[in-house]
Amino acid sequence: MTAAAVEVSGLTRRFGGVTAVDGVSFAVNRGEVFGIIGPNGAGKTTLFNLVTGITPPTSGALFHDGTDITSARPYHVARRGIARTFQNIRLFAELSALENVMIGRHCHTRSGLFSGVFGIGAAAAEERAVRQRGRELLALMGLATKAHVKARNLPYGDQRRLEIARALALDPKVLLLDEPAAGMNPTEKAALSDFLRRLRADFDLTLLIIEHHVPLVMGLCDRIAVLDFGRLIALGDPETVRRDPAVVEAYLGEEG
Amino acid sequence: MLDFLNSQGTVYVSMVLGAVLGLSLYLPLLAGQLSLASPGFYALGGFVAAVMSTKTFDVDGAYPVPLVLVEFVVAAALCGVLAFIVGLAALRLSGIYLALATIAFVEVLRVFSLNLELTGGAVGIFAIPQPFGTQLSYLWLAGPLLIAAALFTWRLEKVRVGRAFAAVREDELAAASMGVDVTRAKITAFVLGGVLAGLAGVIAAHQINTWSHRQASFDASIAYLAFVLIGGSRTFLGPVAGGLFLTYLPEWLREQAKHEFLPTWAAEFLRTGRFIVYGVLLAASCVFFPRGLITPELLDRLKRIGRRRSGSGGQSVRPEPEVAT
Amino acid sequence: MRLFLQKLLNGIAIGSVYALFALGYTLVFSILRVINFAHGAIFTVGCYLTYALTGAAFGRNGQLRNADLPVELNFWLALALGALGAGVLGIIVERLAFRPLRRRGSDPLLTLVSSLGVAIATVNILQYLFGAENYGFGETLGSMRASVELAGGELPVVIRTKQIVIFAVSMVMVVALTAVVNRTRVGKGLRAVAEDVTTATLLGIDTDRLIRLSFFLSGVLGGIAGALIGLAGSFNYQFGVAIGLKGLAVIVLGGLGDIPGAVVGGLVIGVAESFVPAEYNAYKDAVPFVVLLVVLLVRPQGLLGRAQVQKV
Repeated sequence: MTAAAVEVSGLTRRFGGVTAVDGVSFAVNRGEVFGIIGPNGAGKTTLFNLVTGITPPTSGALFHDGTDITSARPYHVARRGIARTFQNIRLFAELSALENVMIGRHCHTRSGLFSGVFGIGAAAAEERAVRQRGRELLALMGLATKAHVKARNLPYGDQRRLEIARALALDPKVLLLDEPAAGMNPTEKAALSDFLRRLRADFDLTLLIIEHHVPLVMGLCDRIAVLDFGRLIALGDPETVRRDPAVVEAYLGEEG
Repeated sequence: MLDFLNSQGTVYVSMVLGAVLGLSLYLPLLAGQLSLASPGFYALGGFVAAVMSTKTFDVDGAYPVPLVLVEFVVAAALCGVLAFIVGLAALRLSGIYLALATIAFVEVLRVFSLNLELTGGAVGIFAIPQPFGTQLSYLWLAGPLLIAAALFTWRLEKVRVGRAFAAVREDELAAASMGVDVTRAKITAFVLGGVLAGLAGVIAAHQINTWSHRQASFDASIAYLAFVLIGGSRTFLGPVAGGLFLTYLPEWLREQAKHEFLPTWAAEFLRTGRFIVYGVLLAASCVFFPRGLITPELLDRLKRIGRRRSGSGGQSVRPEPEVAT
Repeated sequence: MRLFLQKLLNGIAIGSVYALFALGYTLVFSILRVINFAHGAIFTVGCYLTYALTGAAFGRNGQLRNADLPVELNFWLALALGALGAGVLGIIVERLAFRPLRRRGSDPLLTLVSSLGVAIATVNILQYLFGAENYGFGETLGSMRASVELAGGELPVVIRTKQIVIFAVSMVMVVALTAVVNRTRVGKGLRAVAEDVTTATLLGIDTDRLIRLSFFLSGVLGGIAGALIGLAGSFNYQFGVAIGLKGLAVIVLGGLGDIPGAVVGGLVIGVAESFVPAEYNAYKDAVPFVVLLVVLLVRPQGLLGRAQVQKV
């Protein structure tokens, strides 16, 4: 049996008196679109931070393709092919859109300090390749004309798209998207759903998506995990989860 | 006449070294680290040159330039190692805390050099042998150093490692999440700055002929900071221009003081009030032009004017979105 | 034993000097989260003002050489007025160097540099006006004894009266300041502003006025410190900035923004300096900075501060 793309086992994270994530366990299969939903403060983003090595777990373990990555630091996680976007967009504000995407190629390229500056050896060719790939990804996200615009001057929607382009530059096998539909209108949300499905197919990705907009998640995801107060209260395909009484209770009053 | 050239020579060399020192602060800043440690490395570099030329090598007459090059290598190595250690220690610090730590580092270095016999104690080391007969000739060393440093920095910002620095500066967390080794980036930037300051120190020690603990001063930190902040913190040309201009400024003021028509209080102000001018410029630049005088936007505009003048295209002038450089 | 006691007392004496200086420093940081480098300059101006108000003359150099105010006040009165003047200077500095940056939400580092520029300009204006020479207050404490002996005998342990005064004043100041911040309405407002300026404004608190007030208080504290420290020894245009650098070590050690921390930090560093063995006396000046480095590397929040948690 092949290892799961991402496996989380008894993951717990405490901050002082607050238990943000409490004994969460699940396994995401390769190629799956895996949704993570839950009320505000349920620990979803903390879960992402744990997976990507930004926050070390208080206890529990993390696996990627069967390898233990529990104590891996963020840049190791990225190098293994796990990329992410952030809930509050974290672009490199003063850099251009193209430069933002090019940073995503950093760990797949090797020109060092001197070889880069003096342009010797493979460095010059590598630089061209990185730039080319950057342009391709920008074009894919519809940002080709804005390659040289500073990230902070881009409209909100473009910034979100740019974050995805940058994450894709990492050649990831697993992509974590933190509320990709935030700030989008219904038309855009529908388009996003199609887009993510295509992305999964074209790039052979495993997707983990945190989302608030439940209809989007129901329509898009193969399986959904529901968090509440840091605990996993339901896990299964969309229909099963939708009918789970624990889930209904957690979402009392929220859009269904 | 020779006297004039000689005194002017000192100024020109100091200007060029000032530009180099501005760059030595700019390099760590590329990775988001405001380090005020340059005077420490500058002093160390100078001490290497002073000690080696007065104690290690026994030379009569003009000091051979190849030996200066040897001093460059030794100073670079020592400063590099020290910068590595300091950079490593200061990794977890940022913002004010990092600035404070680097200030403390320079002070500790100063007090140590004040007390060690090797560095000449309070008096310092004097009668440092000179490779050149005239002050102006030091440009043969300082000039290439500046050009090399400037070109290096210019290229650095365009390639992978420089981009990584910028990413770390903008958002360390995001940079790490995108596969950048933040630790390595910060330390590399820090070491580059330290080595550059050390090399400047080697030249200065020979040029000034004496060297002491006074070279590692907080005042110097502020001066270099002013070069970068006022000159421009967003492009390598900023600290270069800042270093050149702000080193020249006090000399120019002193020259102006010689005009006959000035009342004594004004002349006195021009002669001794240069720190008042520095201070005001520093505060004003923070309030009115926080990115300094030379910004990428300004350079863009100049480039566009240049292109229009040389008649390229005949394209209609459209308003362009703000571009990053 | 005697030596130990003497060193301890000397350390506490120096320490209270640092503490007094650091109080104003840390007050501004506690409200605005920026380091006001101009504090050292305001401290110096306060001292010069007090000196002028006591009717003493300014020396042979500088533009205002031999200048002499036609007043001749008692030291304590001059101190009070000088401190008020320093407070006003604090407000001016806030208006010029801090407010524009605050409005823009600028990086605290930029604000630090801006205040640094103001500090340099100010003390050098003092030099321009009054020259670089050292000044002293002379025996202005009048009838009070110059020093007090403890545990007499052959080698008495001695404290100078001025040192006792400085210690007493710094203790009074820290108690008063803590009381103001924790027990008065104004203090509550200050703490609200320290938590979050925007929220405080939304709650109807006049943040601008409170910030001005804290700069005024900080300036007054600085002015008092300046005059007292000038009294204890001699002073010149640079002595504020020199203490200023050590003051950084003090407030970081105590915890940036922590008011009792400023006193704790000052006393610890003062005593540490005092206990440097005689052979290493020349290294004494490095002590505050070594302490600063160690604190920054090991426990950046200082002795009394709270660790900062960053939300991702």
